[in-house]
Amino acid sequence: MKLKTLLSILVLSVTAIIPVAAFANEGPEIRYVGVTADRTDSASLQRGARLFVNYCLGCHSAQYMRYNRLTDLHLTEDQIKQNLMFTTDKIGDVMKAAINPKDAKEWFGAAPPDLSVMARSYSTEKLGAYLRGFYQDDKRDTGWNNLVSPNIGMPHVLQELSGVNKLVETHYKIDGNEIKTEHEAEAKAQAQFIASPTMASFEHHADKKDGKVENTYIVRTLVNAVPGKMSAADYDIAVADLVNFMDYVAEPNKAKRIQIGIMMLFLLSFLLGAAIWMKKEFWKDVH
Amino acid sequence: MASNHASMFTNPVLKWVDERFPMTGMIKEHLTEYYAPKNFNFWYYFGSLALLVLVLQIVTGIFLTMNYKPDAAYAFGSVEYIMRDVDYGWLIRYMHSTGASAFFIVVYLHMCRGLMYGSYRKPRELLWIFGMLIYLCLMAEAFFGYLLPWGQMSFWGAQVIVNIFSAIPFVGPDLAVWIRGDYSIGDATLNRFFAFHVIALPLVLIGLVAAHILALHEVGSNNPDGIEIKKNKDPKTGIPLDGIAFHPYYTVKDIVGVVVFLMIFTIIVFFLPDMGGYFLEANNFIPADPLKTPEHIAPVWYFTPYYSILRAIPPLFGSQFPGVIGMGMATMIFFALPWLDRGAVKSIRYRGTLYKSFFAMFIVCFIVLGYLGVKPTSVWGQLGDWATFVDTKERATWVARFLTIGYFAFFFLMPWYTKADKTKPEPARVTMH
Repeated sequence: MKLKTLLSILVLSVTAIIPVAAFANEGPEIRYVGVTADRTDSASLQRGARLFVNYCLGCHSAQYMRYNRLTDLHLTEDQIKQNLMFTTDKIGDVMKAAINPKDAKEWFGAAPPDLSVMARSYSTEKLGAYLRGFYQDDKRDTGWNNLVSPNIGMPHVLQELSGVNKLVETHYKIDGNEIKTEHEAEAKAQAQFIASPTMASFEHHADKKDGKVENTYIVRTLVNAVPGKMSAADYDIAVADLVNFMDYVAEPNKAKRIQIGIMMLFLLSFLLGAAIWMKKEFWKDVH
Repeated sequence: MASNHASMFTNPVLKWVDERFPMTGMIKEHLTEYYAPKNFNFWYYFGSLALLVLVLQIVTGIFLTMNYKPDAAYAFGSVEYIMRDVDYGWLIRYMHSTGASAFFIVVYLHMCRGLMYGSYRKPRELLWIFGMLIYLCLMAEAFFGYLLPWGQMSFWGAQVIVNIFSAIPFVGPDLAVWIRGDYSIGDATLNRFFAFHVIALPLVLIGLVAAHILALHEVGSNNPDGIEIKKNKDPKTGIPLDGIAFHPYYTVKDIVGVVVFLMIFTIIVFFLPDMGGYFLEANNFIPADPLKTPEHIAPVWYFTPYYSILRAIPPLFGSQFPGVIGMGMATMIFFALPWLDRGAVKSIRYRGTLYKSFFAMFIVCFIVLGYLGVKPTSVWGQLGDWATFVDTKERATWVARFLTIGYFAFFFLMPWYTKADKTKPEPARVTMH
């Protein structure tokens, strides 16, 4: 059989099944909003490193990352020693937290996780949203809650920079007034969710009341209640820098990896030309 | 062997060797005087590529072993040590992790070739069986290796797969403890999996690959036309008229395939080593934690067609054993292929619509089952309220059930449809497309 016929049969049969897949999953949906930073921007990485050692390293380690590696960010060892090293004085040491892990577990309920490869287990996008997602919640022991990771044990350590955010929750359901149908409720909630200039979450809630299903659509956004040292825009950039640094820490060799990859592809394309030529020469006598 | 061949060397050292070892004989038998059909197409690159990946895995594996620590307390850290502090450790590790997936891609394409052109048919039954043993061995090798990074997916993936054995009636739970060496996956499990991964299975694998190649060179290669080139030999030389020497013709051709493969391999290793979570899963960057079960546990992509079949088959009296049987049969049934196929022709080129339809259905089943296996069973939502009589309302589970039936129908109905199929006449000599 011709390969083309076979492929077309395959494609047709696969597409016949796909429409079934167009079915959304329930559960809160988060829209991530915020700027991102460039991995090759060493100024951004340096700012991120400063934020990391000032605000994260108190409780979290990056136990697989060595200080002297930070020379990657165009810093000298002296600069690293003077500006970034608080928990040790040996440049070859790994980035250990200042806190005693046992105390940390007692205080926060769980030991703060190591951050060496955090950017690889959670996407940088999600990390950025998490750091922007803290809001004041008096029901929590720490006084804080988070839009991305509800009821997480970590308090808002960047509070002095961002200030205090509060949660705004809007419920959309049939009220007989402005919203008459369920479709309208969902559409209005979606419209607010998508148009929100800051991060937002969207949740569909189905309650059973007297045997009837009552659908509620909840949109949650954050508003600033007490301003911090930074404007909202500056805080956004600070988070981007911090996440950028964490992405670097998760794989310090990434820049080198991409560089070598490009060289390899060049080399292999020359080799490919030579290999094809050699094959053609040898196969001239095959009829 | 050696005495039958005059030494091809003039160099005194090589000549000295040749008088004591069948070097010339082996080179002739397996390279310069092994005659392969001249009409190999695209699908015939994957055998040599599989051999290449095997060598890559062994070499990178040796270097990884130099810095890896098979200890539950240090394993995760030692992998990060390799990624950061070992010179080019990241490259070796990415080559090995990408190589694992590449191995399965290449092997699946190689097997698909065998199916398309009937390469398992007489006289190549034993060759096919060796190949299938390699495939099973490779699955075990990949499974043991996946535990070693000691991330969350390593731990819970192994937990799920070992628990499959505990579904076997009577002996199951004891068997699972025996495999793990503990009541859950632990340090003892990691140590034994390491031993299997770095020495036991590679030894078996190399032996089987040697047997596979020896069997191939005994019966000769099949080709896209599925006809025997040994039927038409040059009366003077005894060389098949449609055969060309493996070296230099196929060595130079395979080099082209190797370079193209390396280009794709390079793109993944250097630009997309995680491959969107399919080659390296995000969860595996969290150290193994026996107290925290991840929300969604899925095996690596190359196991997922079978995993889907396991999940699709409903339990019987609360036991998952039927699913385990189904999964086991799905892998083992390939062994029976040479005896299930009763077609008048070998190659899909000369088969009729009946066979082609079943074949296409099988490929679709395999791919979609594989897709469903990486997703939670809720991926396609629920059936409507009308479905009151069924055991599960999950759409994906129902699709997987139908696909499982399709998967097995390809094999179980094969004696019938290959015989009833309207085949086209085979050509007398190979054709060059």
